[in-house]
Amino acid sequence: MASKASAGARAAGAGLARDPALAVTVVLLWAGLALFVVYPLAMLFARIVVDQGHVSLAGLGGILTDRHQVRAFGNSLLLGALVGLIGTVVGFAFAFVAARGRLPLWLVATIDASVLLPLISPPFTTAIAMIFSFGPRGLVTYGLLGVKGFSVYGLWSTLLSEALTYFPIAYLTLRPILAAIDSNVEGMARSLGASRWRVFRTVTLPLAIPGIANAFLLLFAASLADFATPLILAGNAFPVLPTQAYLQITGMFDLRGGAALSFALLVPALIVFVLQRYWVSRRQYVTVTGKGAGQTPFDSMTPGVRAALLAVCGGVTLLIVYFYALLLYASLVVALGANHAFTLAHYRTIFTDGAKAIRDTLTIAALATPLGGLYGIAVGYLVARKRFPGRRTMELVSMIDYALPGTIVGIAYLIAFNDPPLVLTGTALIIVACYVFRYGPTGIRATIALLAQIDPSLEEASRGLGAGSATTFRRVTLPLIAPAFFAGLGVVFIRSMTAISATIFLISIGWTLITVKILENITELSLGPAAAFSVFVVAIVFVVTGAIARAVRLFRAPGATQVASLLGG
Amino acid sequence: MAAAAATDATSAKHAVGVRVEGVSKRFAHRVKGEIYAARDVTLDVAPGEFLTLLGPSGCGKTTTLRMIAGFETPDEGHVRFGSDDVTHLPADQRNIGFVFQNYALFPHLSVGENVAYGLRVRGLDGREVATRVTDVLTLVGLAGYEQQFSSQLSGGEQQRVALARAIVIRPRLLLFDEPLSNLDARLRVQMRDEIRDLQQRLAITTIYVTHDQEEAMAVSDRIVVMNQGRVVQVGSAEDLYHHPQSRFVAGFIGRVNLLPARVTAIDGDAVELDALGCRLALRHAGAALRVGDAAALVLRPEALEIVRADDARAVLRGVVVARTFLGEKVEYRALCGDVPLQAIRYNSGPADLVPPGMEIGLAVNVDAAAVVPERES
Repeated sequence: MASKASAGARAAGAGLARDPALAVTVVLLWAGLALFVVYPLAMLFARIVVDQGHVSLAGLGGILTDRHQVRAFGNSLLLGALVGLIGTVVGFAFAFVAARGRLPLWLVATIDASVLLPLISPPFTTAIAMIFSFGPRGLVTYGLLGVKGFSVYGLWSTLLSEALTYFPIAYLTLRPILAAIDSNVEGMARSLGASRWRVFRTVTLPLAIPGIANAFLLLFAASLADFATPLILAGNAFPVLPTQAYLQITGMFDLRGGAALSFALLVPALIVFVLQRYWVSRRQYVTVTGKGAGQTPFDSMTPGVRAALLAVCGGVTLLIVYFYALLLYASLVVALGANHAFTLAHYRTIFTDGAKAIRDTLTIAALATPLGGLYGIAVGYLVARKRFPGRRTMELVSMIDYALPGTIVGIAYLIAFNDPPLVLTGTALIIVACYVFRYGPTGIRATIALLAQIDPSLEEASRGLGAGSATTFRRVTLPLIAPAFFAGLGVVFIRSMTAISATIFLISIGWTLITVKILENITELSLGPAAAFSVFVVAIVFVVTGAIARAVRLFRAPGATQVASLLGG
Repeated sequence: MAAAAATDATSAKHAVGVRVEGVSKRFAHRVKGEIYAARDVTLDVAPGEFLTLLGPSGCGKTTTLRMIAGFETPDEGHVRFGSDDVTHLPADQRNIGFVFQNYALFPHLSVGENVAYGLRVRGLDGREVATRVTDVLTLVGLAGYEQQFSSQLSGGEQQRVALARAIVIRPRLLLFDEPLSNLDARLRVQMRDEIRDLQQRLAITTIYVTHDQEEAMAVSDRIVVMNQGRVVQVGSAEDLYHHPQSRFVAGFIGRVNLLPARVTAIDGDAVELDALGCRLALRHAGAALRVGDAAALVLRPEALEIVRADDARAVLRGVVVARTFLGEKVEYRALCGDVPLQAIRYNSGPADLVPPGMEIGLAVNVDAAAVVPERES
């Protein structure tokens, strides 16, 4: 890609001096990145290491050696590893069945739709459904099995909920990889005498290893950063870092301690980021394409294996469908588990008491979505096709907030914009900026990926036909990167509707969010309105992303493997 | 390719014949519904023979090959290796060597491991594997390449690895699916000679798929021409070229002038035709014709000799409209009335060139001409 990018830079052939529009754009983007990415993190870091005017690591050391916090750190890693493991295995099963099962198209579409549900839901959705099913008055534990005093809180429920929420990342990462393996390569192994199982073991699996590692890392990072699920389900017995950092700040008013805790998250998150960027990406196998590639998929499975895998995937899909049906049902009855009389009261509540949260959330989403989409293609295009000083650095810096857990970003914004010179706390701008710089990078990645596949000669041809740089961009490049733009739009919108981990630190009396309202409802045990809110968000997101996907097939765009970045709220 | 001494490392024990009997394969097509990729295909391949399936893309040649390999199962008909019915035998139990157009090398394995794969599957011990890998790599001219990865190799080298991997298991049958299409023109000619040479030395029954008629003629003992899922004609290269039985074969094999003609008389195998207002007598009709039938006269460019307009041998008269100088030969396009004709002349010196615009006569070498029915049967 680097060579293509430099070729593109040569093709564009414009230095900053010769192209004032480029210069202005670059300066504006750098200003935005400096202000909303670098500055907050610098302030976060300064808050941790500067104590009453002196540089001191005592505060950091103190909190990081606290036994309770060390346990939280260990728990976070354990949970992340388990979610990564289970989610990758389940995701692989789904991807394998979808790519190789020779399933009818409608069945694949059904799997896709139900698997996408967790990806576009507000973060508490599966957690609420878990409580409905396995809580003190749970349908399964209390209603069906009659268990009294059963505790839903702890590692297992958090793990189940997160694995169910995040395994679609593994599915979406692995499916294109399995589908891209040249069926001739596997057919060749078979004709050399290998059984189906041996082909799987010695060819299919080794070729999918980079994808599997990538899926594991993505899931690990998603779980590590997940704030909402453990807040509801982990309970006191199983503290994890993001919730500890939140409680340190909101419960004990210890901003510095919270900052230090969030900082501890940084290390594993950075390791994951570096592994992905510099290890996994170098290990993708390029298969020579030619005739044969992309014909009927290799027949990997005996009917028995196929049936078994279908049963597993069917079970998981049913569980997802059950959880969402339960959520819908709970939003329509007086009190699930106690009074199952039909009512619309919960919806009345969210459109009266919750009206402000809905209005605020939609306003912020309406602002963040176009800005985030534009930011994504602007940075993506510049980085992939133009040559200017600090190009690589810009790409790297733009990825920082995307790679970091939301808790860190939220606390950094809180610290940076609470005091002069720039007071943004209490405004909508701080939330919009957070969304743009945290979720816009999906558009950057999609744009870069797309442009890497488009030969610069297309743009050269336009120049050669006499079109200027601006006309070429408008008539050739822009239509080509439109799918990336829409992919970016979709992700920023989804996250604007569903994120909480960063923005919970940024809400105010003036501006609040639906997700925060859901959290309040859950803590007040008014689960009906929480369910109604969740259904409302899922419905809105489904309709809007459906509209976008219909215009441009969102999840089929070359940036589709970046759908992973849907997560991390 | 390398020394003949290495051949014993891979030589097939005994060549096997292949019989494909009335095989059909249907696929679901998005627009057309169900279509036949292969329709009632019957082939007989003699032990040790080099047979080529030739046809345009979509003619069913690759599907037929894949059914012989076991990658597809026929909807009807049978495939036999010798006396064994292998129709429903999975690919891994057929003991065949297959070479794909895109080579299908295992990208995660080195050259040595790629070649060793089939031997390991067969449970051979390490020393035997190493010896046979070394021998076969020497045979294909890649000695010392064991540790390389396919991404480091040129297209021709990858092709040799694919070939080595296919023959090292001493297959009963060697199958090629357009193996040379990804190579440049010069390498293509070199590799096809090497493949033919290797096949002769190993005496393995070989079935080869290509859409390139020149390649087919260069390597094959016999050629099976296919079109729209069916076998159209089977024969040696000379046979197909000189005695095509349909317009399709005449047009597909080599370059041709196909002229409308009418059968005026038949005498045993000889036939008399009326074409472009001239009367021509051919000694062999080849195809089944009746007097009065509309037919097409098959005239290869080299069967038309350009002569002076007033030459006694001139059967047709026309005007040269274009000339392409190719060194050893010169291609002419002429108009005979309003019928375009192509003719080839071997270059015998600068004085011999005929300029465009010149009126010429054309002599016809009737021994090199053929006649086919006007309509496809």
